[in-house]
Amino acid sequence: MSLQPDFEKLLTRIRAKLPIQNPLHSFVHNNILQMFEAKDFHEALIEAGSLYRAKTYWPLEKYQEAFSSGKLSEEDIMDALNHYEGYDYQIPQLDLLGITRKDFFYRLMFSELNYNDDELQPELEDERLWIHCREKVKNGELVLSRSPVKWRGKGYWEKHHNFLFSVSVHPFVTRLTGSFLDQGQSFWGNPFTQDGFWKFLAFDLAQTGSFLSGWQKVFAKKVKAYEGKAPGDVIIAELQAMGLPEEIWDSYLLDILFDLKGWSGMVNKLELEPWQATVKAPNIHLADFIAVLLLMESSVDTFFSEINSLEITLIRGRKEEIKLHGFPLSLALYQVTKSLKLDERWVQKLSTENALKIIDSVDTAEHRHKICLWHEAFEHHYYRNALRSIMGRDPNPKLPKDPFAQILFCIDDREESLRRHLEETDPRLLTYGVVGFFGIDMKFSSLKNDRLIAQCPPVVTPSRIVTEVSVEKESDSFFHKINNLMGITDLAFYYQSRTLFRGILSTLILGTLSIIPMFIQVFFPEHAKKIRNRLFSFVSPDLKTEIHIEKTDDLHGYDVNEQTTIVKTIFQMCGLKENFSPLVVLLAHGSSSTNNPFKQAYGCGACGGNAGIPNSRAFAKMANDKRVRENLKAAGIMIPDSTSVISGYHDTCTDETFFFDIDQLPEDKVKRLDEVKKSLDEACKKNALERCQRFSLPEAKVNADEALKHVRERAMDPAQPRPEYGHSKNALAVVAKRDLTKNLFMNRRSFLLTYDWALDPEGATLAQVVIGGIPVACNINMDYYFSLVDNDNFGCGSKLPLNLTSLLGVMTGSQGDLRIGLARQMVEIHEPVRNMTIIEAPLARVQKLFEGHKRLSNIMHQHWLRLVVHDPETNKWHIYGHKNWIELQVEDPGLTKVKTSVDVLSLINKIDFAEIGQ
Amino acid sequence: MMMMENFFRLSLISPFVVMVLLGLSFLLRIKVNERILSTTSKYFSLYMAFLGLGLFIMAWHYSPDELLLNDGNWIKFAHYTFELRFIVDLLGATYSLLTACLIGIIFRFSRNYLHREEGYFRFTFLLFVLWFGLNVVSFSRTIDLLFVGWELVGTTSVLLISYFYTQVQPVRHSVKAIVSYRICDMGILAAGAWAHHYLHSTDFTELPKLLSHDHGGKALIFIGIFIIFASLAKSGQLPMSSWLPTAMEGPTPSSAIFYGALSVHLGPFLLIRFHDYIENFPSLLIAIGVIGGLSAVWATLVGRTRSDAKTMLGFATITQVGIIWIEIALGYTNFALFHMVAHASLRTWQFLRSSSLIHDFFENPVVKQDVSIRRGLSFLSVLNPEIQRKIYIHALHSFHLDFFTMRVIRGVSYPMKMIFAVEKKMMNWDNKLLSRIIRK
Repeated sequence: MSLQPDFEKLLTRIRAKLPIQNPLHSFVHNNILQMFEAKDFHEALIEAGSLYRAKTYWPLEKYQEAFSSGKLSEEDIMDALNHYEGYDYQIPQLDLLGITRKDFFYRLMFSELNYNDDELQPELEDERLWIHCREKVKNGELVLSRSPVKWRGKGYWEKHHNFLFSVSVHPFVTRLTGSFLDQGQSFWGNPFTQDGFWKFLAFDLAQTGSFLSGWQKVFAKKVKAYEGKAPGDVIIAELQAMGLPEEIWDSYLLDILFDLKGWSGMVNKLELEPWQATVKAPNIHLADFIAVLLLMESSVDTFFSEINSLEITLIRGRKEEIKLHGFPLSLALYQVTKSLKLDERWVQKLSTENALKIIDSVDTAEHRHKICLWHEAFEHHYYRNALRSIMGRDPNPKLPKDPFAQILFCIDDREESLRRHLEETDPRLLTYGVVGFFGIDMKFSSLKNDRLIAQCPPVVTPSRIVTEVSVEKESDSFFHKINNLMGITDLAFYYQSRTLFRGILSTLILGTLSIIPMFIQVFFPEHAKKIRNRLFSFVSPDLKTEIHIEKTDDLHGYDVNEQTTIVKTIFQMCGLKENFSPLVVLLAHGSSSTNNPFKQAYGCGACGGNAGIPNSRAFAKMANDKRVRENLKAAGIMIPDSTSVISGYHDTCTDETFFFDIDQLPEDKVKRLDEVKKSLDEACKKNALERCQRFSLPEAKVNADEALKHVRERAMDPAQPRPEYGHSKNALAVVAKRDLTKNLFMNRRSFLLTYDWALDPEGATLAQVVIGGIPVACNINMDYYFSLVDNDNFGCGSKLPLNLTSLLGVMTGSQGDLRIGLARQMVEIHEPVRNMTIIEAPLARVQKLFEGHKRLSNIMHQHWLRLVVHDPETNKWHIYGHKNWIELQVEDPGLTKVKTSVDVLSLINKIDFAEIGQ
Repeated sequence: MMMMENFFRLSLISPFVVMVLLGLSFLLRIKVNERILSTTSKYFSLYMAFLGLGLFIMAWHYSPDELLLNDGNWIKFAHYTFELRFIVDLLGATYSLLTACLIGIIFRFSRNYLHREEGYFRFTFLLFVLWFGLNVVSFSRTIDLLFVGWELVGTTSVLLISYFYTQVQPVRHSVKAIVSYRICDMGILAAGAWAHHYLHSTDFTELPKLLSHDHGGKALIFIGIFIIFASLAKSGQLPMSSWLPTAMEGPTPSSAIFYGALSVHLGPFLLIRFHDYIENFPSLLIAIGVIGGLSAVWATLVGRTRSDAKTMLGFATITQVGIIWIEIALGYTNFALFHMVAHASLRTWQFLRSSSLIHDFFENPVVKQDVSIRRGLSFLSVLNPEIQRKIYIHALHSFHLDFFTMRVIRGVSYPMKMIFAVEKKMMNWDNKLLSRIIRK
């Protein structure tokens, strides 16, 4: 296909703005607006808001409620204003107001401007002012400068002809797209997948021509006229024929695509990364999809302008003026004066012309800045709290000198609480936070399913393949046979029960049988899994397996040197050189849930949403290898022979822990592990209790045993839309030694990355820690942010009516767009706060790192995260403002002091930090 | 039989009482919180399941005898009396037990699924209405009484499609459903009127006997025709099929209970109830078989092209219900009843766990680069690929059912439009005349 080079460029620009849409089975948290990160946060949000037709902040009332309820203080507002001043926004006509910009912003925050609202009865208390205002703009007329220019006919037809695109136009194309992209959900696979979408559509229209009506007839005619042409040429030709100026092509096409943003994103994804498809990506091109949507749009335009004999050029490019005159205009001036706390003398001095200008300027500023200011105030409340709590603490907490065991957790915010509880339960233990894929960038194929699954963060391209193999070779082939047979049975039942003749048979047999599993799963979810596992183990007993990591060729496995590097990196991050305890545990994590299309979103973000078990098993194997240990000595990492590394797993939903390859552990360590396991179980119980505080069911809020039972039931329940609350409320990331946050209750809101600045003069380890962890944290944070602030447009709405489509995604109800983002039930308790990252390292080292890395530099400079550095050499704290570093003053934290974490749980909704002390 | 009567009365009245209490609390603006609702529905389900099971065992025991009850009259004016006549037989008891089991499961499922949901009260209340409606349908002995339950089921169905009533699509699709329902409900009314007129009774048990007295001659076949027409919409048979696949707009449990299980099988239920009557007219049996057959083939072809979980299940349901119609036409009513129960349970479960599909497939060791099992077994694969492609396209567009429906609607509404146009002209003319008179 030869496309015009200009068109290629156009296509690239469009691709960059589409939502990042992965098939749900490989869901990863992304900043939905990652492509906008080169722009300032607030600026990007304005652009994205109009593209996504979404609100980009919480509703104003939510912020104001936080203020009126006393959560936000004047101090927070001042912090926000000071920070916002740094943006240096120009407010036209500010000089006429006679107040400073900061003052203007402050008054704007509390302004009450509702002159555009027909339903509210305005209050006019100040009669004299009202008279002056009315006099001043009696004959004036103002067209607000935020009046939009509309190029699409869509709005016009929807408003004046009661013709809804979502009802009358989109179903036509979504059904075709759904069937074209289908990965095997339908019985009858689309026979056109290799011909391309454009040809499929042309064939479709040619076949169904005589059954079309209305705009569809015009559409068929247009498609026929373009027969044989490449979609790229069709798009250009149609845009030219429509008479649209070239500079708006981008935004025009994007606007059309964003009608179906989910499908557009998926088409784009499957074209660029076909390996992401569940089974096999069809021959789909974004250009085909755009051509179809564009022709549909222009057909509707043509159809309606013809039957109404309207000049189509009048509709394209119309300015939808928001006009003020007469009463609303006077009211506007009155309210502006009132809100900015000015008086009638000021009004008197104004000329009518200036009055209009000021109204326009304030109106624009109100729509632009007011919500940003409130949002910043809300964030600053948390930031202030966090900084005060962390900065003002005793810098040298008691850590065990000779630890009983060392446990490496994932950096995940959900592990913060478990680490805390574990340290409280058994003070002899030391915990660390490292990225949960343990530096192993592999694709993994398990014994049960040899599909290759990337077990690393989405930003890393997996370089090797690692496989799980069974130890007992003789039962291997039998296991595979049974396993495949079960798979085939599963599939056969799925397809056959939906057909005609075979359907009768399977309905009669399965139907009567289905009552039993349905009954057990719905009424006794906690037993369902046990029963199923027992049944399965009866059919095919679990095999003893091991992870095969040795290098066999360029694609498979790691050689000793590579293994050494991997182990070295992780231990360096933790600052482990000689002080190894006899037992080192790698605790990977994942999450189990039932009947949950978003399962992947709860998994380990660093392992691409999967459970981190293979990574921790592989790592343990590497670290136990004598050759690797020998090599490590050169790097100064002395692992004593008495030290054993063991792999473990923590299920964040059920709060269970498991250990792997215990049989390879020396006798004396098994006892030690048992003790660790005991402490972990105890900590898990407390952790479950802490998690239950966030659920709104009262029954499991006081008793730890009940809580544990409750969370396990949640994971097994097919009716549970909230198996866990995932990363809800995450807001912080701390890159430091555990000393900085030890004994600090952080309410499961913080990612914890271990980094020992003293051992890393070059800054190489810092780069690995930060680049591996912070972008992931930022992605998670932003995904939750956007899904929260406008769940209908950035998220995927309520989970209740979701309908799985094409094995790729979900849509709401029986037809429509593919949904993006997270479901309402996943984010409902989140708070919109951008991530604040606190790094303990010399300032220059951090600066060098952030300036030198493209994405990090963007997210720092453009305020997608807030960066704070504690320079341990000078013991000073710095926060990044606007292109400058501001030194922070250490304040008295005024922390609530409690004896154990459990004591703080009743206050969990009120305070985010507390000091846990003996 | 006495105990059976008591069981029956309790299982009819109990959902009614809860329904009324909940309705009153809503009208009086007394807030009933989620906890109370879920506890009530839990124990109520247990209680109803017990009643249902008891009733079923007794009905089984006495079968083929049935309990006929005459509870006097509800309304009486002129020559018309609305009699409260009930029948408790194996058919009704089976359906009632199925209702109790499935709604019980749905209640338990929704306790977590709809937790913290604003519409929790609405949802629970509507399910109680459905319960009452279904039990009325199960046990009524006259067309008049059956209509009451029939309407309650239809109304709750529509209200649950538009559960998310702030969005456009659910409301549109609920309108589509209600229009289809209403058109076919006329069938029941007409059947009732016809039966009253010619046979002076609408009692199912009496109708077949009266038939032999030959009161109305050929007109009597119309009662059967109307009944068949009435069953079309609820069971989504052709040509009243297009609403069903688009009705999956409410929360998953409500889609499951209505379109996988209880509401959709009311069509065949009605046909079985009337089977004694209908079987006197072989042409009607043929009609039932043909409608069922056509619907089954149509729906299975269309359903095969659908790629979303719920719509696909909707078509699969129409397919099996079509088969059930054929079974009824062939006279295997007991088998049809068994088929209905099995089918309802299977679909409920498939709907409820439809969210697991993506991970089921992804974790299946057989699914890798191809799910070839699906196409390999299709009965269409014997055809020439070009023809297959054409069939695929038309199936994708539901064989243009909507297009033809619109044609029919337009055809029907054309005379009406003409009348409106004439009326408008006359009004204008009237106004002109009037104004002239007034001016004078």
